[in-house]
Amino acid sequence: MDSTGRTYPFSAIVGQEEMKRGLLLNAVNPRLSGVLIRGEKGTAKSTAVRALAALLPEIEVVEGCVYSCDPRDVSTMCADCRQKVEGGEKLPYRKRKMKVVELPVSATEDRVVGTLDIEQAIKKGEKHFEPGILAQANRGLLYVDEVNLLDDHIVDVLLDSAAMGVNTVEREGVSFTHPASFILVGTMNPEEGELRPQLLDRFGLCVNISGILDPLERVEVVRRRSQFEADPEGFSHLWEGEEIKLRQKIDEAIKLLPQVEIKEEILFLIARIAIEMGVDGHRADLVMMKAAKTTAALEGKEEVSEEDVRRSANLALVHRMRRKPFQELAIDQEKLQGVWGAQQRPNHHHAHSHAHNHSHAHNHSHVHKGNHS
Amino acid sequence: MTRQKSYLYPFTALVGQEKLKRALLLNAVNQRLGGILVRGEKGTAKSTAVRALAALLPEIEVVKGCPYSCDPGKEESLCPFCREQLKGGQLQRTFRPVRMVELPVSATEDRLVGSLDFEYAIKYGRPRFEPGLLARAHRGIIYVDEVNLLDDHLVDSLLDAAAMGMNVVEREGISYTHPAEFILVGTMNPEEGELRPQLLDRFGFCVQVEGVLEPAERVEIIKRREDFDRNPVGFIEHWVEKELSLRRRIAETRKRLPSVQISREMLELASRLSAEAGVAGHRADLYMVRGSMTLAAWEGRSKILERDVYAAAELVLPHRARDISFPPPQEPQEGGGEEEENPPQEEQQVEEESDGERQENKQEDAAEGEEHEGSRQSEKLPGDLEGGEEKRETSLPSSPEEMVFTIGAPFAVKSIGDQRDRILRTGSGRRSRTKTASRAGRYIRSTMERKNNDLALDATLRAASPYQLSRKRLGVAVAIETQDIREKVREKRIGRFLLFTVDASGSMGARERMVETKGAIFSLLLDAYQKRDRIGMVAFRGQKADLLLPPTSSVERAEKLLAELPTGGKTPLSAGLARAYEVAMNHLHKDPHISPLLIIISDGKANVSMGKEKPLVELRRVAEFIAREERIKTLVVDVEEGGFLSFGLAGELARLLGGEYYKIDDLKADTLVQAVRMYL
Repeated sequence: MDSTGRTYPFSAIVGQEEMKRGLLLNAVNPRLSGVLIRGEKGTAKSTAVRALAALLPEIEVVEGCVYSCDPRDVSTMCADCRQKVEGGEKLPYRKRKMKVVELPVSATEDRVVGTLDIEQAIKKGEKHFEPGILAQANRGLLYVDEVNLLDDHIVDVLLDSAAMGVNTVEREGVSFTHPASFILVGTMNPEEGELRPQLLDRFGLCVNISGILDPLERVEVVRRRSQFEADPEGFSHLWEGEEIKLRQKIDEAIKLLPQVEIKEEILFLIARIAIEMGVDGHRADLVMMKAAKTTAALEGKEEVSEEDVRRSANLALVHRMRRKPFQELAIDQEKLQGVWGAQQRPNHHHAHSHAHNHSHAHNHSHVHKGNHS
Repeated sequence: MTRQKSYLYPFTALVGQEKLKRALLLNAVNQRLGGILVRGEKGTAKSTAVRALAALLPEIEVVKGCPYSCDPGKEESLCPFCREQLKGGQLQRTFRPVRMVELPVSATEDRLVGSLDFEYAIKYGRPRFEPGLLARAHRGIIYVDEVNLLDDHLVDSLLDAAAMGMNVVEREGISYTHPAEFILVGTMNPEEGELRPQLLDRFGFCVQVEGVLEPAERVEIIKRREDFDRNPVGFIEHWVEKELSLRRRIAETRKRLPSVQISREMLELASRLSAEAGVAGHRADLYMVRGSMTLAAWEGRSKILERDVYAAAELVLPHRARDISFPPPQEPQEGGGEEEENPPQEEQQVEEESDGERQENKQEDAAEGEEHEGSRQSEKLPGDLEGGEEKRETSLPSSPEEMVFTIGAPFAVKSIGDQRDRILRTGSGRRSRTKTASRAGRYIRSTMERKNNDLALDATLRAASPYQLSRKRLGVAVAIETQDIREKVREKRIGRFLLFTVDASGSMGARERMVETKGAIFSLLLDAYQKRDRIGMVAFRGQKADLLLPPTSSVERAEKLLAELPTGGKTPLSAGLARAYEVAMNHLHKDPHISPLLIIISDGKANVSMGKEKPLVELRRVAEFIAREERIKTLVVDVEEGGFLSFGLAGELARLLGGEYYKIDDLKADTLVQAVRMYL
């Protein structure tokens, strides 16, 4: 963001395709539960996350509810809204963009989880809960810049609600629970220390990014950046068309996602990848499947292809590989290829590259169809 | 206050994890099995399984409206509320399912044990006790997710209540006692640190969970989870029959349980099994017997078979057994350093009578006498002078025999320098928990002392509330006076700054000592990681000492540097210490609250000096100088092999530094045993 409050357009970010895809997938499917972006300074991590805000879809929220409850889903409502619905009341609602809520590294625990409402306590002598950042983040995106520098006890709190989608408060005389389901997006520079394994696992996807090496692309980065800084208004205007297209693509994908099918054999492929690659637990399988479905939806397809799995595997696996202590977060690509090799018949390599091209061509036609309809 | 409900994944829909499921079901049947600790890697449905159990818990009879869920059948142990009711005649009875109360790791003490009800006090001017989670959990289950992250003071309160079966509250002018019998269920990922032994022992059962490796089962897991996520209501409906039948089985088993008999042989088998496992105390036997009885009942038998006892032992012993230690926190690397026997230590005493000066001369002589290279592979008899001494002539920093050794197998390390201190500090890490003067950190309790303007509103209100009826309240409900103000006491885990000062000289290369040394540093790094320490690394060899790793919390980088650290050359120990001192002082300058710990890993055989003095004389001077700086703590890890001709120079160095001293083998210690020592 520059001084006028303009955000650099997402579509104007040069390169860093994996990062952009990780973010877009989450915009389409919040169930992917976020993405962790690891990379050196100056790799447009924060820019990309903030830029994503402009692309997030609209959601329906209950008017006046601090937790932005979904008027159509009683199961995830806060106690207040639920009570009203159960009492036969019709909840007023409105549409608004999904929010990005930033969790500053210096935030205190009471600000994050919520605390005793001071005004009500003193004025009325009553105990009420004052919601914190987790309440604001419900059904939105919670962004933590420098997530690896977060205080330990704040991380503990995050772990709890990120896992359950519920924030349970038992502190300072208040006992309260409310929905807190959010897309957790974190950025970090691994040189300043790693994340705790438990928190790492809470991020659905993970991307390792590095500076762009291609000189032409580098020049382009600088060119666009200086353009933006000189005239943010004009620059944003220039990219408006691209942004609209991207927003449409996301909207289409959201609509398509529930219809995306996944074949049994693809599920087995996913399970085999997880086993062969030696991941911890089962979250990797689930995320791989969801990411593959979402990838298909983003490309306007109703069925998950092997290629979709291939494109999601990296994002879902990189931070879940069982590592030797302190080993870098990385994927043994050869091994991953090996799983594919086993999947396909020996002389399939050639055939496969065809399939690859084919599916691309296929995608494009679908996307176009989608846009016109 | 209100709670939010959410749909729970049905227990019966869980795929695999039979042992975990059985352990949970047994606890649902029998409330006297002491609960479960579920340990396992992330994403293995630990929490899902525990939470799913909540839906299956059987019903118990309670006094209607009693906040402590008193048992109407037990008139002798009623709470004051029920005693009052009983005086007025009959107790009103009702049935409700056993509760599972969740204790979040962010909880404050007042909510766990209960506190003064300020709303009531303001209205009526009288103090009244407001029950906390311990009251809610009476005759039920307390569930702590990530139990290893629970703060110490909460653990203490839990343990106190668990030990007595009562919650005794003496705070804020309130004195109250109520029954609090509960079982503890906890889940944890051991990568984040272990549990305190007392807490560990509270859990009746312990189950280690791992991911399923069968592709078909994995696919089933994905499918079911996705179905549930898409349509929880439909999914739950789909499983409702199975859930109901499981509930029925639990109820039947409960009825059958009193009729189960245990024979003398089976009792003996149970105690033999725990004796063989080297279990201290009798809690294990007790839980094993109860566990096998419940198992028999679960399978519809009233007679206990041997396999029941064995199955119960599998659940009761793993976290108690002395000889079945927990696996190291992470996958060990190749190499079997762990099994190695301690080298004979008796000879070490030999050198004791000789004073430092004589040792020094001897060392010099020895060094001069040794003309051969520090050839690491050469076979040497144990007790031979450690052949690492280099030639006397000044050699180039990178001598041709420079080598890089692999990292030896890691092991659990003793807790080093882990004591709470009373100085107010800032920082974030887990090595020591200290009261912090900043307004960050976890709010643990309140105090009347005024220091930080960090208002503890809840405590202040509680303090003010009893006087409200007699105070003038102008437009507010609560009039607060100065004497009511309470401030928050916050606790923050303070990491240390560990500065590894590593001897990379040629002498370290002898007989693969560097492998073991790297293993030791690596283990300390693992420990440092779990405790969120900052680390740095200074290595010295040849003529000088280098700061390889400036202070950072990236243990990964340290590990990488460690792996690449070459060995060879002379031992400029005093230069190493001086450099470490410099780094430590700089760090202190930047962050006066974090005390640096120099971990000096060397055999102490200094043979190069910075100035004109003899190496060992200079070393002594530097060491004594460092010892004068009280904020810097030191720890010497002696890597000299015990043997006939060991010099004990590292021990001498530790003495001069006024620091702790460990032989490299002393560092390896059973996690449990050391932890016990630490906390008793």
